[in-house]
Amino acid sequence: MELFLPIAHMDVNVVLILLYGGLVGFLSGLVGVGGGFLITPLLIFTGIPPIVAVSSGAAQMAGTAAGASHLHWRYGNIDLKMGAVLLAGSWLGGGFGVYLARVLVRAGQFANMVVFLYVVLLGFIGVSMLIESLRAILRGGTGAAVHAQGTAAPGSPIRAWAARLPWQTSFPASGVRMSAAVPLALGAFVGVMTSLMGVGGGFIMVPVMIYILKMPTRIVVGTSLFQLLFTTAAVSIMQAGVNHSVDPVLVVLLILGSVFGTKLGARLGTRLPAEKLRLILALVVVAVAVKMIATLVVPPGEIYDMTIEVR
Amino acid sequence: MARRLRCLVLVWSCLSGIPSWADEPLVVVPDTQQVDIKMDFTGADLKAVGSMRGPADVIIKVVAPQGEATLSREIKFGPFWIGGDKVKAAGAPSLLFLYANRPIDAILALPEREKFGLVLEGVPVRIEPQLQADAAEEWRKAFFRLKEREGYYHEDDRAVKMFGNRLFIADMALPGGLQTGTYTIETLLVKSGKVVGHDVAHFRVRLAGVERWVWNAAHEHAWLFGSLFTLAAMLLGLALNAIPFRTRRDART
Repeated sequence: MELFLPIAHMDVNVVLILLYGGLVGFLSGLVGVGGGFLITPLLIFTGIPPIVAVSSGAAQMAGTAAGASHLHWRYGNIDLKMGAVLLAGSWLGGGFGVYLARVLVRAGQFANMVVFLYVVLLGFIGVSMLIESLRAILRGGTGAAVHAQGTAAPGSPIRAWAARLPWQTSFPASGVRMSAAVPLALGAFVGVMTSLMGVGGGFIMVPVMIYILKMPTRIVVGTSLFQLLFTTAAVSIMQAGVNHSVDPVLVVLLILGSVFGTKLGARLGTRLPAEKLRLILALVVVAVAVKMIATLVVPPGEIYDMTIEVR
Repeated sequence: MARRLRCLVLVWSCLSGIPSWADEPLVVVPDTQQVDIKMDFTGADLKAVGSMRGPADVIIKVVAPQGEATLSREIKFGPFWIGGDKVKAAGAPSLLFLYANRPIDAILALPEREKFGLVLEGVPVRIEPQLQADAAEEWRKAFFRLKEREGYYHEDDRAVKMFGNRLFIADMALPGGLQTGTYTIETLLVKSGKVVGHDVAHFRVRLAGVERWVWNAAHEHAWLFGSLFTLAAMLLGLALNAIPFRTRRDART
């Protein structure tokens, strides 16, 4: 069954888009990541213009993160003060990123930038996760804990440097005191990534909050989702306002697929060992990175490409 | 079938008022005046029914409104293929179909074909910014190659089916992703390598229903649309999350 996308101005297979949403939701439920890193490349591979893929991906994440954030808020897992500072940063970064996206689209370099960022970030994160999860499996499931503690220690020079920054503030819900500039900068970086890659940034935010900011994991997950919800929502609004690139039909299909995929993944996630879950995620991330690298190094059959201006 | 019959009646009724400029009488009527792009649009099949006074060859040219396209070229940067330079291709129709009852080059000689715009690669295309002739020619060739590959420029010498010596029907398959606007169906009647009759008809392609509403809202009230739609997406996610989810195993237990 085909459906015409009014903003992308092309028809797509409904089942395929629902499956994309379902796959991303399934992984999200299984291993607790937003899945934005996966949905944007999948949409681009399908032929959807990169700017529409990125913008609609942000709107889809706002939709799917709404339910999960609501749950965390009810359980008291959100540090609202920290979340507000992160959000201020990510809105600033997101706004800058949207205009940067516009400049890159006009210069014809947006697709280059998206592919480059994906290759670098996914390659680095995927390989790191793959090594960590394989070590954990070989050590019989203890590797993750050892690795987590080992990573926490080298955070001290950064913390010492952060302690000298202005705007020292305490965040009681997280039980930490630091310069507000640190979460502000982290939020800004994630906001730029959301605008350029259509990702929520959880895969950057969560390790930084746990290992560098030393926040409790329970609060990290809730606060990260809170920040993700409002960052992706803001980026979605800005992309729609500036680039007219949020396709509502595409977003609704993705949300439908991802919500049910998330629930299915969450059920299965409780029955699989954590290190195997991380291995699955690592393999998916590496596969996407490899596919992206292939588009860069394999000589194209046709070096010319055409984008039709839709009126 | 009923639509086809209505077309035939219309054709015959039109024949009584043959335009004075045409040497040979020719009337062509498309089976619809309007193509609506709705949510289930994946392309459209149009028919044009025509009538003429005696045996002749028929060439039909379907021309869409002019559309602007951005052409980009990948370049090798070290081991990587990345997006390189780009140009705008303007002034050419966004779609150009040539239909005939037999190969067009067997019906008309090249000079005549060029005169009547019946060569796909002969359409004038403006490459912007202005480049040297060789460079512009490369982009122009790429433009036609991509247009043909994506099905927007197309020649079919079997699309016009003759019924006896006086009637013909052309099957026109329009792709998805059509530019909106007024399309022209220009029909030429050819005898002994000379164009002896000519008729022009039009149909309109427009966004309709939800597609039109969404497009207008997204472009005319972009910020309001973005805000309301994002809020709606969040509410949808919230509502769907509230639906209890049960697997078969849950149901059994």
